[in-house]
Amino acid sequence: MISKLIVKFAFLLNNSSRYKQVKLFFYNILQNPDYPYKKYLDSLMIFLILTSVGILVYEVRNPVPEWMDTYDIYVVSIIFLIEYLLRFWVHDDLHKMILKEYEEAKFLHKPFSLALPLKEVFKQKIQYITSPSAIIDLLAILPAYRPLRILRIFVLFRVFKLLRYTKSINQFVDVLATKRFELFTLLFLLLFITVTAGIAIYVFEETQNPNITTLFDAFYWALVTISTVGYGDISPVTQEGKAVSMLIIVSGIAMISFVTSVIVSAFSEKLDELKESRIIEELNRNDAFIIICGYGQMTKMFLRQERELNDDYVIIDNDPQKVKQAIKDGYKAINEDASRHDVISKFNLEYRNITILSLTNSDVENVYITLNAKSLSRKIRVIARASDESIKRKLELAGADHVLLPSSVANMMLLTSINQPVMYNGIHAILTGKNVAHMDEVSVLKYAELIGKKIEDIDFKSYKILFIGIQRGSDGEFIFNPSPDTLLQEEDILLMMGLKISIEYFKERHQRSHL
Amino acid sequence: MKKNAFIFGYGQRGNSFSKGLKKDDFHLYIVDSDKKLCQEAKDDGYVDVLYIDVTKDEALEELAIDDDSYIICVMEDEHLNVFLTLSLRALFPHATIVAISDSIHVTQKLKMAGASKVIDLYQVSANRIHNILRKPIATKLLDSFVSDSYAISFREMLIPENSYLDGMMADSVNFSTQGVLLIGMIDVELSHKFIFITSGIDHKLDSGDTIVCIGHDHDLDSFEERMKKEKVV
Repeated sequence: MISKLIVKFAFLLNNSSRYKQVKLFFYNILQNPDYPYKKYLDSLMIFLILTSVGILVYEVRNPVPEWMDTYDIYVVSIIFLIEYLLRFWVHDDLHKMILKEYEEAKFLHKPFSLALPLKEVFKQKIQYITSPSAIIDLLAILPAYRPLRILRIFVLFRVFKLLRYTKSINQFVDVLATKRFELFTLLFLLLFITVTAGIAIYVFEETQNPNITTLFDAFYWALVTISTVGYGDISPVTQEGKAVSMLIIVSGIAMISFVTSVIVSAFSEKLDELKESRIIEELNRNDAFIIICGYGQMTKMFLRQERELNDDYVIIDNDPQKVKQAIKDGYKAINEDASRHDVISKFNLEYRNITILSLTNSDVENVYITLNAKSLSRKIRVIARASDESIKRKLELAGADHVLLPSSVANMMLLTSINQPVMYNGIHAILTGKNVAHMDEVSVLKYAELIGKKIEDIDFKSYKILFIGIQRGSDGEFIFNPSPDTLLQEEDILLMMGLKISIEYFKERHQRSHL
Repeated sequence: MKKNAFIFGYGQRGNSFSKGLKKDDFHLYIVDSDKKLCQEAKDDGYVDVLYIDVTKDEALEELAIDDDSYIICVMEDEHLNVFLTLSLRALFPHATIVAISDSIHVTQKLKMAGASKVIDLYQVSANRIHNILRKPIATKLLDSFVSDSYAISFREMLIPENSYLDGMMADSVNFSTQGVLLIGMIDVELSHKFIFITSGIDHKLDSGDTIVCIGHDHDLDSFEERMKKEKVV
């Protein structure tokens, strides 16, 4: 009876789009680093943590005002508690598991039991509760319990909560994790020597050295000595004790240099990877960026063209030699295979405008890169290079938004230069962005003052600008030479031509008056 | 009178290039030193296919190249292409030689060899990517001029004798109400260079000048008619 009710409820949840939306929202804001609004919650959390720790430190010497205490106990802790519970909630879906079990049972005609899915969920939730970050979260809530003053020290766990927001610490841990075996071996060795030396000094000096009274003192002395810290509060007094010290000092030095070299080599091995992930991270902060695949002739030419290209690009090449060359030439490049699923999915595909330029020498590669990108997200814009018409068709089938045939582009230019020489000069000047014939697109949205104006009201002539037409909306039609009483709309883009300075002046004027 | 156009090389590039050249405006010659390619050209229906050794000056000298001729160097072999350009320039100092190159280094060599125009494969492609990314609308418009697929085109027009435009300042004529936009002109008084209207200097229009306008085909047609109207004295 109860299980029936629960299954019914699970169905209800599964069919409720509202429930799913809410859960997805909390999942995104808590767990999804690509979600644009996550940073607001992150900032709030960081603020709470810092103030809470600040209060702890202030409290040492000064009496704390009432409101600060209230803030610390109730506001901070309660928000942390809510956060903890939300994370607990979004970690997995109970109702889905119940439904799955229910459907399976129905299909196999076996009796449905709630125990199985509950066990499964219990396992997953336990897995969450025992994960390091969840433990830290839980401990960070504890200081709210006032009667036990000792719990105040758990405020420090709030500092650990910051770890969630600093990627570099995570990377540090990741790097160390690659040397897990070596580090564990060393740790074990350290433990072994400390324990042996501690027992030895305890046996030799317990009766003669007033500073060593317990086994704990002996272990403490051994560790202080082996780490080469050597406070000197406890020192051996017998011959035997001194001999033990000498031995563990030597092994201590050896061990420390060994640990250092292991960590350093782990980092130098991972350095390139770290740099690359940093580049991707930085790129993901931009609203729009370009991924250029292949560093060959065409890419070089393109980059030379893109003077105003700021930081919003990255070159991906699977040839380490070429990547080296690109970095030497002063570009941002990473050594990866752009046709691989996991490489492209590192980028924030869902919330950013990404353009992929697939400019490698190999057609097969270009087709593959295009397919890979389009299979990940239809939103990615792909401009691909092809060597002939048949490849062009393949790329179009693969979903490329633009296909570039270098030979046909060159051919067209050559033909134009002979068939229509005057036009060639004109177009060439416009295309290569010569100063006299700068063709520019001005988005009305950016110059709010233009919205709702009539074209005749804008005196293009006084700016020495030739107004050519309007593109209405990004997919809309292009209106060539619109009539003077046309009203400008928000989504319009104006196409105009003139000296670069004329157009810049035009933009400046309309920006200023808007301000 | 038809101008002569000599295409050196009937490889992939030469082939697609020959197809695009306007048959009405040019008398087309195809020259190659590969017998197989020459045969291919003949099979494709070209009449004047010349099979000569392009490295020999005597053979080149015999071609009917005059000062008004166009020479297009699209040999498959890059070295041969540069060599040919150099030989042709030495033999015919005034002819127009155009060539396609596929790297910056070759571009420079071809220019030094005397090519009048060198089109760098990668440069134009890179340009095109840049324009698709940064100026999508302008690119679409310019494409339409070249491909004739849209109704808007680019036209050169000669200002006839006694046209009403003769003697008027370019700024004082309102072109846009007539459906066309004046992009620039070739002023015979100054030089034969193409001058953009937006360069900021107000030009006087004279008969004999060539003006360059863009617009819908029918508007350009009617504008051309109207231009012939006599000047009111």
